[in-house]
Amino acid sequence: MTKQEIKCEQALRQIFEYVDHELGEAERATMERHLHTCHSCYSRAEFESRLKVKLGELKKDDPDATVRGRIKSLLDSF
Amino acid sequence: MGISHKAFEEQVLALLGSLNGVARRLMSIPADAEDLVAETVVRAWRARDSLENDAAFRAWIFRILHNTFVSELRRAGARPRLESLECDEAEEEEVQFSIFEQMHQPFLLWFSNPEQEFLDKLLREDLDRALASLPQHHRVVVILSDLEEFSYGEIAEALGIPVGTVRSRLARARGALQKILWQQARDYGLNAVPAALREADEGGAGAPRQATAGATGRKEKGSIR
Repeated sequence: MTKQEIKCEQALRQIFEYVDHELGEAERATMERHLHTCHSCYSRAEFESRLKVKLGELKKDDPDATVRGRIKSLLDSF
Repeated sequence: MGISHKAFEEQVLALLGSLNGVARRLMSIPADAEDLVAETVVRAWRARDSLENDAAFRAWIFRILHNTFVSELRRAGARPRLESLECDEAEEEEVQFSIFEQMHQPFLLWFSNPEQEFLDKLLREDLDRALASLPQHHRVVVILSDLEEFSYGEIAEALGIPVGTVRSRLARARGALQKILWQQARDYGLNAVPAALREADEGGAGAPRQATAGATGRKEKGSIR
């Protein structure tokens, strides 16, 4: 069976879905074949992926004690 | 079916950092963010019978948080902020701004990588400020996807919109975010813009470099290894 190939235009349309792990298995494999042969699309995917990681680093996991105490009291009152 | 008090408490406490973090980025005043989280928890407990299964808890409670946020804004009569929640889907057709498109220089490849250099120099404060500058409907999808790592399906559930809308709104939001980052880099002394590009860039703030705007053609002609 012939493996489907895509051009840059389609790869760029799907770049965020690729970075967000939202492509299905077959689409992801097709995208990765393209990225292995196209340095520009590979660089774009790497850029978007790194920016996503940097944004993810903004997340703060621990609310301050005041918020936690208030919500804990609220939950106890239910 | 509902959820037991114990399970509800465990889920809320496990998600409290995320709930509070998202609320802090939606509300400009920390005390308002805290009130939003508290009101969300109260509403969620009252609506617990509407939770279909425990696995859907995260998207379910974030939908309550988002609905509470919108209704609080309406109640406060915050027209300008509300307007930014209502987006124009027609803008979907616009070409997305991309820092990569502005900076990528295939011919410099062997000695320079300007777009990666830009990322290396981005500070947490730059990203915080850019995120805070986004309109609400853009900000919330970026927060849920990139900070909270929601899937598109979860974002759709949390915001009550189709998955296709999540996909297109996220693309537009990222374009808008990158445009703000690009403008910030210029406005704050171009610290993140490599010298070679600063010298080459004659345009005003935010003006796309037309020579690199035709992404597809340029990529197909010049970038295959």
